Amino acid sequence: MDWLALHLPALSLEVHERGLAHPPPLAIAEHERLIACNGPARQWGVHPGLAQSAGRALLADLRILPRNVRAERAALERLAAWAMRFSDQVSLAPPRGLVLESARSLRLFGGAEALHALVGDGVRGLGYQVRCVLAPTPAGALVLAAAGADGPVPDLAALRPALGALPVAALGFERQAQGDLARMGLKRVADLLRLPRAGFAERFGIERLHQLERLLGERADPRRPFSPPERFRALLELPAEVPDAAALVFAGRRLIDELYGFLLARQAGVQHLGWTLSHADRAPTRFRLGAARPQRDPGRWLELLRERLERLRLPAPVRAISLASETLRPLAPADGELFPDHAAATEPDPALLDRLRARLGHAAVQGLALVRDHRPERAWRWCEGGQAARRGHEHDRAPGSVRADWPLWLLPAPVALPQRGNRPWLDGPLALGETCERIDTGWWDDAPVARDYYVATAASGERLWIYRDMHGGRGWFLHGIFGVAEEDPAANAVTGDFDQR
Amino acid sequence: MQLEQLLHQRPDLWRGRAGERSAPAGPSTGFAALDRALPWHGWPPASLSEILSTHQGAALALALPMLAAASRRSRWLVLVDPPCVPFAPALAARGLDLSRLLIVRAGADTAWAMEQALRSSACAVVLGWQGPEQEKRRQWPAGSLRRLQLAAAAGDALAILLRAPGAAAQPSPAALRLQVEAAGDAIDVTLLKQRGGRPGARIRVGSGLSPTGCSRSPG
Repeated sequence: MDWLALHLPALSLEVHERGLAHPPPLAIAEHERLIACNGPARQWGVHPGLAQSAGRALLADLRILPRNVRAERAALERLAAWAMRFSDQVSLAPPRGLVLESARSLRLFGGAEALHALVGDGVRGLGYQVRCVLAPTPAGALVLAAAGADGPVPDLAALRPALGALPVAALGFERQAQGDLARMGLKRVADLLRLPRAGFAERFGIERLHQLERLLGERADPRRPFSPPERFRALLELPAEVPDAAALVFAGRRLIDELYGFLLARQAGVQHLGWTLSHADRAPTRFRLGAARPQRDPGRWLELLRERLERLRLPAPVRAISLASETLRPLAPADGELFPDHAAATEPDPALLDRLRARLGHAAVQGLALVRDHRPERAWRWCEGGQAARRGHEHDRAPGSVRADWPLWLLPAPVALPQRGNRPWLDGPLALGETCERIDTGWWDDAPVARDYYVATAASGERLWIYRDMHGGRGWFLHGIFGVAEEDPAANAVTGDFDQR
Repeated sequence: MQLEQLLHQRPDLWRGRAGERSAPAGPSTGFAALDRALPWHGWPPASLSEILSTHQGAALALALPMLAAASRRSRWLVLVDPPCVPFAPALAARGLDLSRLLIVRAGADTAWAMEQALRSSACAVVLGWQGPEQEKRRQWPAGSLRRLQLAAAAGDALAILLRAPGAAAQPSPAALRLQVEAAGDAIDVTLLKQRGGRPGARIRVGSGLSPTGCSRSPG
């Protein structure tokens, strides 16, 4: 049982179908004939082998798509990359098979039954039907899986009768050779195996004999190992146009699950994912999802995608969705830990930041930092949330930028106040405080100010920060709103129970 | 407090409002008079509180001592949709560690952003203001208030919603509702509702701002 073969019987259908939760009746055609159809189509009596026109006669709105060999090949390669989490040697067996070298995996994953179930469930979770066969030879495993078997074949002694019971057609010889064999009365593989080898080679070619020998493990069968691409890239075509962005979550989840297997096999994460939504006749919609640190948790990426899709306004229905990872980054095995230590707590929870930014945009979440400047509007700046912490805030606590006598709110821009009788006015006369602060600075750059700031009490009881412009028109402006002074210095020693967790 | 202790020593004494004593202690408001009036001796922990006011300065000032204390611990402070930018130099002067502060501009999604921050368990306090959308409607749907209360409990965080005084007419699941008015250099706080305590008290907190001399900046 050194080899695990996967056969994907419905691959040509699934490359189109698996992006939709409820696909419409769908059939795949090749050379004017249906070669596969899905459940909803079968309910109407459509079945493989029908002519296209016969399928349409049974069901007028049957969607018939041409077979897309390239998409099948791409899907097979992505599955191979995904399967590398189970084995470091995976080989393609086109058009619909994969084979994994599984001798070591058996031990790692707890035996044949366990591995069989893990791989089978994993592939089905990605939206594919699959049959898995564990067998002593790769060719034997592939032929059995393709012929409809599912399960382990323990050893060579058991392999021979299992193969022998198959019809000759399961070996995939050309039509000509199959005809010859049938005329000779050879129907089962067992009939072939009974023939004298020399005569068989003479009649059907040495290559066929070698094929039989490889099946039985009597001849070496080297397989070219699949080497995965540097980055993950996947395109999912949708059989019907999807007008609603929220309905794309299902297709997105398929791609994210594949990405997860891809990353898991490489012990890597990604920090950015590029998504492209293709439309019929206009430029595609593109967006990028970012995480604060490299990630592979599919749940988290899916959450970010859902947030974004909920807010996305599609210019047109979507025909295909594709996902491209940016550079892979190594990820420590201890992925998914919540707050592991205090160092992590000095940065905002990355999951929270990612979630907020995915929905609101990157610039919507920011921190504040101090700047050494006497002009109030320049005494602070936006910063990346948590950055001030990393650089150490001692620098920002420079004298001149911490001001207890400045107000809690600064208006985005000064608001000109009306005047009555040379006094500033705001829903009533403003009572000016006795003291003023003159700020006269900035002559060296483009925004010099010369202002006299006063604390003014409005009729409502609110205290405002207003200034008189000493440069130009000597007008009055509202610039800030005060709260209240702290009760006493003891307020600094407030003991709250914030750390009870 | 001494009277309290004396009463505690008398197990034969039955006292009304016994539930009040069992209320879990919350982070101090920083105003002794207000702490004394609240069953939690501070802000109700892991709950939703509401501050109703037209005076943005007074409303923020009331929360500020608690915010400053929280900023010196390990979790985050999040302000969602403040009406304008809180002035960093003044916040720093009140002891608030700016590196713990996140400001989120959520537009119509104030309630959503608050809920995310509360549930994350990464935040000690989440303050939210009525966004422009809710301002128009002048109210939050009761469902979203309940969600905030649940999120605060789930994330063990304080949720504080700053609303217009008109909201007093709308029932709310908040544990505490305060009406706040500026009174010169003090704040008048009216307890509209407190779970496990008596409403109606009116408390004046804060005192005079020390006047500053006319100073001339260099340059």
